[in-house]
This record gives sequence, C-alpha cells and structure tokens, in this order.
Amino acid sequence: MHEATLAENILDIAIDAARQNHAAKIFKVGLKLGELSGVEVEALTLSFDVLKKNTPADAAQLVINRVPCRATCNKCGKNFRLERYNFFCPDCDGILILQSGRELLVDYVDCE
Amino acid sequence: MEIKLMKNILSANDEIAAQNRKHFAERRVIVMNLMGSPGSGKTTLLEQTLTRLTDKIRIAVIEGDLFTAKDAERIERTGVDVIQINTAGGCHLDAAMIQKACESLDLDALDLLIVENVGNLVCPAEFDIGENFKAVVLSITEGDDKPLKYPLIFKESAVTLLNKIDLLPFTNFNLQSARRDVSTLNPTIKIFETSCTRGDGLNDWTQWLLERTAI
Repeated sequence: MHEATLAENILDIAIDAARQNHAAKIFKVGLKLGELSGVEVEALTLSFDVLKKNTPADAAQLVINRVPCRATCNKCGKNFRLERYNFFCPDCDGILILQSGRELLVDYVDCE
Repeated sequence: MEIKLMKNILSANDEIAAQNRKHFAERRVIVMNLMGSPGSGKTTLLEQTLTRLTDKIRIAVIEGDLFTAKDAERIERTGVDVIQINTAGGCHLDAAMIQKACESLDLDALDLLIVENVGNLVCPAEFDIGENFKAVVLSITEGDDKPLKYPLIFKESAVTLLNKIDLLPFTNFNLQSARRDVSTLNPTIKIFETSCTRGDGLNDWTQWLLERTAI
C-alpha cells in the first residue's frame, strides 16, 4: 500500500519522541505490524531509508515485529490463531472477533 | 535509551477521522465510503443508486480520483451536488481531504454523503475518513479469488456488491466460493448481486441503503 506515507509518519513519531527526550541520534525504531495490515516491508524499509537522510534518524534501522491474527469467539469465548481468515468459530456457531493482527504501531525508539 | 511508545502510525489520520465522525453525527448525515478496484463499476453503480434515491433523500457525493474530473461530471448529470478530489497520484483518500472537501458542503441539508474512494482494494481500507460504514464493489471479471487476496477491505466493509453479475456466464467466476470467502472473512456482511446494465439487485441495494440512512 502507501508505504511512503507510513514511513513519513514513522519518522515523524520517532523524531518527535527523540526530541522530547533530548536525544540527538536515533539508532532503532521498533515497529509492530499486524499480519492483516497489508504492509509491504521491503517498500517500507526503502521509503524509510530514503526519508531518514539528514534527520536525527540518519543511521536508524527499522526493527519489524509481525503480529499474528488472533481472535476470540463471541459465543464460547475461546481464543484462536486465525487460519485463512475464517471468522466462523471452529468449535461452535459463534463469530470470531479480531483481537490482534491489525497493528500499525511504533513500539519503541532507541536513541541517545 | 529505549523509549516505549506504542503509538499508532496512522494516529494523525485517525484523529482527524474522529473529528469528521463527530461533525457528521452532529449534522445527522450518514456517510458511506464506497471502495473497489478501478473498473469495478463504482461510478456506474453510484449513478444508478442516485437515480433511484434522489426523490427520497438528500444526497451529495465526494469523488476521489488520482486525476481528472470525469467521474464528478458524470455524477453532476444526475443533478446531485458533487465535489471532486484529485489525489495527484495518491492511492487513497484520507481524513484531512474529506474534512477540507466538507467545507464546501452544506451538511445540514443532507441525509447521505457518499464518498467514492480512489480505485484500489488495498489502501482505502486502512484509512478511516470518519464514515459510518464502508461498501466494497467487486466485479465478476476481477475473479472470485479477490476476497482472500485482499482480506482487509472485505473484513472492514458492512456490505459487498458483486457487480456485473450479468457477465457471470462468460467467466469462470465461482459465485458460491466468492460468497463463502466474503462471509468467512466477515460473517455479518451483507452481499448484493448487482448489474447496472440489466438492473439486477439495484432495488434491493438501494432499499438497504435507504434503511441505513433512517437510523
């Protein structure tokens, strides 16, 4: 999708956090990206590497954690790892409510 | 030092979307975000929808395209107020674009605002614009494998329109498997089979839409 927009937002969030903590240099930016978020990691890294030039994040690396899709049944309450995006409960006739897998988060910034 | 943030990458957009949603609720206007691939028939479906609804409710349209005002010109011919947004290459509409476009609309004089998003099955699903619900158009010629290939947009939508249903006999599109895939992704989704050339399903669809605006 729109990886350049995401990279721009990530950079803004990281630089903002570094500035608020009086840090001059960013080493790592940790991300949590859900399986269902549709982010193309290569395109995101490329955009980030282009945009970070001449900023405090010049030497920063993206550390990406993919978050699997998990869902809870609205009837029996059981928790499942989603396979093939099937939102019908495998154990009863309930419907699965997504608990994780849509994350688009800046988890942490490593800086000094 | 490590600073823990857990900040949503799209939070800037989501904040504006929340403002839009509040604004729409205060003005009592229902907003539908209409999405689908380029060529799936979104604009034709919209023309047919407007023709059936303009004597019943007050509607305006926001058209999102990369370039040109071709779609806005088509909508204008139905007599409905329309605003064209050109994203100049951008793959989706965002909340700020909608906020700005709404400055030129009299929301108090509307029951329904339809936003036709940029043709794309990926990005529009991720960007909240402050709508009440999303609708996705999937045309028969795109293939029955699309729901599982682009799951988020079907997961996020309240309604799917299987459009160009008149072309079914000429393709290998498996209607049963497409309906099953859409439903497993989103068990509460409403599915309509429509054809804008033959008229199939259009009355049912517009009736459903009309009921949504009465809420």
